[in-house]
Amino acid sequence: MSSDASAGATPASPPRRGFLKKGILGAALLFVGGAIPIALRGGIDRARPRGALRLFTPREYAIFAAIAARIVPGDAAPAAAGPGPSPAWPTAEALDCAGKADALMAQAHPSVGAELRQLLHLFESGVGGVFTNLQVSPFTRLAPTEMDARLTAWRTSHLTLLRSGYQALKRLAQATYYSSPEVYPLMGYPGPPVVPQVPA
Amino acid sequence: MGRLGDHGQVRAGGDFQDNHTAEYDFVVVGSGPGGSMAAAILAGRGAHVALVEEGSRYTRRDFNMEESWAYPHLYQEHGNRATDDLSIIILQGRTVGGGTTVNWTSSFRTPDSTLALWASRHGVAGLDGAALAPHFAVVEQRLSIGPGNEDDVNRNNRKLWDGAAKLGWKPELIRRSVKGCARLGYCGMGCPLDAKQSALITYVPDALAAGADLYTDCRAKLIETDHRNARAVVAEALDRTRDRPTGRRVVLHARRGVVLAAGAINTPALLLRSHIGSGSGLLGLRTFLHPTVPLVAYYSEPIEGFYGPPQSVACHHFADRGDRIGYFFETAPIHPMLAALAFPGFGGEHRRAAERLAYAQATIALLIDGHHDDQGGRVTVDRDGRVRLSYPLRDAHVEAARDALANMARVQLAAGAQAVVTLHDPPLLIRNESDIAQIARAEFGANRHTLFSAHQMGGCAMGGDPATSVVDAHGRHHDLDNLWITDGSIFPTSLGVNPQLSIYAIARMIAGQIPTA
Repeated sequence: MSSDASAGATPASPPRRGFLKKGILGAALLFVGGAIPIALRGGIDRARPRGALRLFTPREYAIFAAIAARIVPGDAAPAAAGPGPSPAWPTAEALDCAGKADALMAQAHPSVGAELRQLLHLFESGVGGVFTNLQVSPFTRLAPTEMDARLTAWRTSHLTLLRSGYQALKRLAQATYYSSPEVYPLMGYPGPPVVPQVPA
Repeated sequence: MGRLGDHGQVRAGGDFQDNHTAEYDFVVVGSGPGGSMAAAILAGRGAHVALVEEGSRYTRRDFNMEESWAYPHLYQEHGNRATDDLSIIILQGRTVGGGTTVNWTSSFRTPDSTLALWASRHGVAGLDGAALAPHFAVVEQRLSIGPGNEDDVNRNNRKLWDGAAKLGWKPELIRRSVKGCARLGYCGMGCPLDAKQSALITYVPDALAAGADLYTDCRAKLIETDHRNARAVVAEALDRTRDRPTGRRVVLHARRGVVLAAGAINTPALLLRSHIGSGSGLLGLRTFLHPTVPLVAYYSEPIEGFYGPPQSVACHHFADRGDRIGYFFETAPIHPMLAALAFPGFGGEHRRAAERLAYAQATIALLIDGHHDDQGGRVTVDRDGRVRLSYPLRDAHVEAARDALANMARVQLAAGAQAVVTLHDPPLLIRNESDIAQIARAEFGANRHTLFSAHQMGGCAMGGDPATSVVDAHGRHHDLDNLWITDGSIFPTSLGVNPQLSIYAIARMIAGQIPTA
């Protein structure tokens, strides 16, 4: 029987190692992470949780909010992606993608939640930058174009581990954003049809 | 607690204030096509049956056609199930009715070629088209599966039909398990009209009407055994609002037997946790997914692939490619969240794909895995109980995927697409035949291209030899005299068609052979 006793409690410290238990590459990332502790400090928490968190710490909430802001259209900078952002698209903050991600992932298996939290710290730290674009500053301190560069570095990395990490962040941000009715009209989607009530 | 049928009771895990113990003739784990069928057959033959389901019981009144509700409530791992490296998104039901509550209604009989392969290579005796025909007939009648209907073909499917027909690749209409379908397009989120004849409204109520009790929100954790017999199913009650154990145990003793139908992935995981047959090293091996490669095309006119029956056209022209992995074409519905996850990229790049959602058409190629030397994936269980699935993509998969992408692009161009955009990361743009050559050069592998699976099979393969299979051709476990498996996990290979009808029919055959006296 698995123990879910800790589920729902807001953890006090970042989880360790789960995401990195992927063989030699994971061990190398962990080693490099330990060798550059300066990169693990000094991020900026721009986003504040709207309510009580179930999985993330406020720090992790802020990291995810910063990542989601770059992944979804509302805050997208033009540099990496062509034409500029459309002001009509809501921001990740407006739709509280981080809050929705916290609520969704709080229901996941405890080890999945722990891995996600570890991934957030790893992505924030820039440890992966040692293997990609040598950019090791905290993600939340980067300029928007630098943030996009880090996402791209993980997205196109020759390391499966980093591409998997990118996919986890991308999917979670986009799932919370694109399932929101606020964006339906912008996608040309009228929404679900009204169906007649069927007698019981 | 509530009552659905004349006799059976419905109990939710959250209702138990204390540990709960009960005794039945049979305990059936999983309420999808395999479990609901087994429960209905056994209860109909007079046995006292418990049907245990990890998910919750939702009905048409809950099905609001919003992805933000449907995936967290109706799918495994709240819609987040994937292979270990996240390279293949796994869409798998987790609710009363299992996959049938969220499937896209496509109904095919098991191909004779697949059954012949199971007989010749895996020693599955007595499972041929003739033996299964009466079971198919009964199920098709119960689920209102009639001939394919041209009126079901929405614009998304019409493009597949038009392109494949123009190329001479013989598209076919898909038979669907519906009655009074309003063609809304939300089969994957639960039918709000009860038009889809899922197990939720057919075989589960049949089981309840015959006296079976349904336990929802109860996660089977362990099968207790005594020598060569399964004795009880131990489950943990779940609080459905948090999806967390309440701390109450539900212990269901089985006088005559246990039937497992928790689905491929969860059934082998339950046996692994219970250390039943795990010594053979076969459990969880040869898990097949029909790894599914989507391809998006854009047209000048609206396609609106979010409306209309999700699947009504298939093309099996490339199912048999000799010594190479075959594949078949269908379509996928194009709702905002599912499409957004499939589109590569982020920010403005991703936004431009999202903005054209209504003009997008999605064809999918499902690779027929396991029919050659490919071994599929493997299910394992961590020490903390977490279920994992690894599925390495081999050269043979990559070759088939590239070939499928090229031929899907040909279909879409033949159907009049302005542009075909692959889901490579980054994507390729194809506007004419000469552009298709890019596909062969583009890197294809884990998280280099969007892949998903809506068909999970294998992991507890049936066969004639205990050294190479987990259950025999009658679904009975080789190591236990009173444990049967009736879900898709017993398939020795993938099917080559959508699996629901095969699972129902084979489960019906197996359940009818289980001694009840």
